[in-house]
Amino acid sequence: MLRIATQKCCDQLPSRFLPFLSTKSGAAVATRRHQSTDDKVEVFVNDKPVYVKPGSTVLQACEIAGIQIPRFCYHDRLSVAGNCRMCLVEIEKSPKPQASCAMPVMKGMRIKPDSDVSKKAREGVMEFLLANHPLDCPICDQGGECDLQDQSMMFGSDRSRFLEHKRAVEDKNIGPLIKTIMTRCIQCTRCVRFADEVAGVSDLGTTGRGNDMQIGTYVEKMFKSEMSGNVIDICPVGALTSKPYAFTARPWETRKTETVDVMDAVGSNIVVSTRAGDVLRIIPRLHEDINEEWISDKTRFAYDGLKRQRLTQPMLRNKQGQLVTCLWEDALPFVAEKLSTTEGSKVAGIVGGFADAESLICLKDLLNHVDSEGLCTEELFITDGAGTDLRSNYLLNTTIAGVEEADLVLLIGTNPRFEAPLFNARLRKSWIHNELEVALVGSKVDLTYSYEHLGDSTTTLKQIADGTHPFSKRLKDAKNPMVVVGSEVFSREDAFGVHAAVSAIAQNATVTSQTNRGDGGADWKVLNILHKVASQVAALDLGYKPGVDHIRKNPPSLLFILGADGGAVTREDLPKDCCVVYIGSHGDVSAPFADVILPGAAYTEKPGTYVNTEGRAQQTQAAVSPPGSAREDWKIIRALSEISGMTLPYDDLEGVRSRMSEVSPNLTRYDAVESANYFKQAAELAKLAKPQLVSKPLQSSQLSLADFYMTDSISRASKTMAKCVKAANEGLTPDL
Amino acid sequence: MGSFLKLLHRQFVVPWQEVVKTIRHNGASDGGYFPVLRGFFVQWARFNEPKHGKLVGTDELGNKYYENNRYFVARNRWVDYNKETWNQMWDYNASQVTPEWHRWLHYMTDDPPTKVPPTSRPFLIKHKRNLTGTKDCYVPYSTTRPKIESWKP
Amino acid sequence: MSHQLTRIVRGLSATGIRCLSTTAAQSGHANFKIHIPTFVKATISKHKIDYDLEARKDPDMETIDSETQAVQLQIPTTGTDASCLTGVPEEHIVSRKVRIFRPAKNAMQSGNQNTKLWKIEFDTMERWENPTMGWGSNADPLSNISMAMSFKTKEDAMAFVERQGWSCYVDEAKEKQMQPKSYGANFSWNKRTRRAMK
Repeated sequence: MLRIATQKCCDQLPSRFLPFLSTKSGAAVATRRHQSTDDKVEVFVNDKPVYVKPGSTVLQACEIAGIQIPRFCYHDRLSVAGNCRMCLVEIEKSPKPQASCAMPVMKGMRIKPDSDVSKKAREGVMEFLLANHPLDCPICDQGGECDLQDQSMMFGSDRSRFLEHKRAVEDKNIGPLIKTIMTRCIQCTRCVRFADEVAGVSDLGTTGRGNDMQIGTYVEKMFKSEMSGNVIDICPVGALTSKPYAFTARPWETRKTETVDVMDAVGSNIVVSTRAGDVLRIIPRLHEDINEEWISDKTRFAYDGLKRQRLTQPMLRNKQGQLVTCLWEDALPFVAEKLSTTEGSKVAGIVGGFADAESLICLKDLLNHVDSEGLCTEELFITDGAGTDLRSNYLLNTTIAGVEEADLVLLIGTNPRFEAPLFNARLRKSWIHNELEVALVGSKVDLTYSYEHLGDSTTTLKQIADGTHPFSKRLKDAKNPMVVVGSEVFSREDAFGVHAAVSAIAQNATVTSQTNRGDGGADWKVLNILHKVASQVAALDLGYKPGVDHIRKNPPSLLFILGADGGAVTREDLPKDCCVVYIGSHGDVSAPFADVILPGAAYTEKPGTYVNTEGRAQQTQAAVSPPGSAREDWKIIRALSEISGMTLPYDDLEGVRSRMSEVSPNLTRYDAVESANYFKQAAELAKLAKPQLVSKPLQSSQLSLADFYMTDSISRASKTMAKCVKAANEGLTPDL
Repeated sequence: MGSFLKLLHRQFVVPWQEVVKTIRHNGASDGGYFPVLRGFFVQWARFNEPKHGKLVGTDELGNKYYENNRYFVARNRWVDYNKETWNQMWDYNASQVTPEWHRWLHYMTDDPPTKVPPTSRPFLIKHKRNLTGTKDCYVPYSTTRPKIESWKP
Repeated sequence: MSHQLTRIVRGLSATGIRCLSTTAAQSGHANFKIHIPTFVKATISKHKIDYDLEARKDPDMETIDSETQAVQLQIPTTGTDASCLTGVPEEHIVSRKVRIFRPAKNAMQSGNQNTKLWKIEFDTMERWENPTMGWGSNADPLSNISMAMSFKTKEDAMAFVERQGWSCYVDEAKEKQMQPKSYGANFSWNKRTRRAMK
């Protein structure tokens, strides 16, 4: 029997266990193989020894042994509820089967997940769950990826004994994103726990008990969270499904593309489902260091913005001043002519938040070739002091996962909840589990967790830097402090002053925290910049100038706008004869005043490199082809260079990427965070430049949930996001 | 002797008579060059065998229907398409035959519509030839909304 | 010698070709010949082999034995490259890049069975909507390769991809980290994990 069990488990185990399993004297070899068994507990799963951390649950022990226990209420990232009873397993010497998700392991425990008792228990639980579950799988959006469906096939009985009537529950309206069919609910309370613990919004709860128990908001209201869409994923049945995706497709019809999100600077990993050139939905993909298993609602639901307001044909402004569609053969020579006849100093480029590193390097190489230095990012940063020369100056140096080791976070001029929801979720996770303390200088906003508000004046910053503020004491005592500055402070006129003050605070904290930890020069970084747009770090890495000051000072006569729709430059800022070339995917803010429009690809349509706010390079994959005549942005610029007779020396993606790594090697080291560590030098350089602070309060622009949804050209084109704004502002109406 | 003469007549006279009848039958009446021979050659080109026969009737499109039972069945009824088809030399088509004549032409009945006129119904529409291959032909088009909406300046 | 042979045999078996005669090789002869059954011969385009011959500048590679009419290949000693035998068009070998990855767990489901094997997929070529039925179309014969093949380890996948002559990169699998969990944390009296209500 033992032999058979061992054989069976071989298939389910990682290969590192194999040598040990192939021997008969299991226990003796086991101690030799697992060097770090001292702090671990030995338990037996199906008579096979596994070593797990004390305090783990039986379910986790089985997972380590390669056996997945069926579950509904248990979720890796939520607290243990233990109410669905699906995970019952037999444990030796225990009279009844135990709920493995809530049962801690004990030394020498013998767990029998495949025994007859376990199987019978599952069958029984499944029968009860199905008693009140409607048999509407054919019209259910969860069909095909439903845990209840899967597990009833795997572990349920093959016939029903249920002859009574089923319970029915009224559907609730909880907003324009989540569709509820509450009759399907099995009361696992995953959504309630998600709302409470991860989203930090106690909107969902249960009412009634027993057969009458219902999940809901008690009074009809919107589930007001920037991460609400994740309850669609965690719902194990079809009770909570996506409203925009309703009745659109079955999971087996769609093609899944694993890619990266660019709606904020966090760079969440996502899976894009497509069918026939149509992006149907976006769901998260596991990445422990970035987004865990969550994504924000903008990431998840703004995809319908990819299908509206698209630039699909090149356009030229005619003599009447109207933009009319034309062919690439007309548009490109026109721009090429302008480019070769315009003086280099009169050529400039602005890049927006969705530009990938490939198009950034192409545009930079092209403009540098005509001796132009006017390459600016729309998003602002400082240029004084060390400016963008030292990478550590503009990165989230602690990294997102590093938040879990922090014990004190000082947020400055930012509202991470809406600027980077996943970063805020990490802060909240650490706040719950690691007793993280948070303080904020800036607008008083709801961060979903308690924090100390230190006002919004710049004097506070100065005092903290000087050590005269009461908070300085706590910063001094912290072992792993973090100082996070939002990118919005860089739009202030004293941006450099704020940055210098923050650098000083961070530098002081770095020194004191090293002493507090007692480890000397350990690698803990304090200074963090939280960016808002996906392209900013890559642009700064490649040497773009932050902000459009350069363009205001040197009015260009040929301006390239690479997807910059933040309104940093308007027609009024430019000379009358200036030719504006817009390269991008959406007709939003900048396209209407452009003279030439070259349609580009959106992030789901091109393989591109994006560097998130931590400095982690990631690549997107093309899920669909660009619509109409639109092309990948870097290819447009490459074609333009060839027509203007300044051919860029690369013509495929590989070539572009090797050029990128020449300029900044970290851009092609995918999924790696290159650490940057020149804080001391940066702080000293900042002091030399004599920073000034003005008394204007530090504020963030995104204060309430309604400000979160529509921030860029894609989300502004999205109808779903517009509905969200309406619902968040005015409350729910039946049409939402 | 009489039968021999009949044979000679059948062998040498009747064919010529037929030729003359056919040329007369097909002679165009619209003037122009070689009015007598033009129609003959058109029929020759179209049928490979110019025929003559009794005009049974004309349909609403101007196609003429002939019958001559001297020819064997399946060749004894034919249609002479209207003169418009002469202008486009080869652009004639079996679908130009109107439905009421179609049944007579295809031996579904021996009664031409001139003899037994079809019941007229208010919902019957005027016959139209098959337009495939012409500039008026049907071109399939998508009835769904485009998946991607373009920006309009 | 036997080492070379093993590599060649492996290279051929990668394309589904069984070596029928390897006696010459076993005897230690330098120019061993491999007989390819006729049904395989039909699938190997002569043109492709010629092209490859030229490309590799390897005049010793014989293709047709005049006596037996069997296709005979002398595989170069870098014999793990099977690209000359697969019949994959040249442009698909040279210009394309393979991504080796392990599929991510579907966030909608608890099960993780589909995330255990390694897959390969190619860069996305142009896809369009078919005008007749509105279905998705593309002209990429390799677009569905991730549905057809899976590998136990990424090394297996890399070896396969190398044999086919494709260039590739590995997207490392994102592993889930397991944190100790306890039911008791819900009732902890001084921690923020305490839950007032469910």
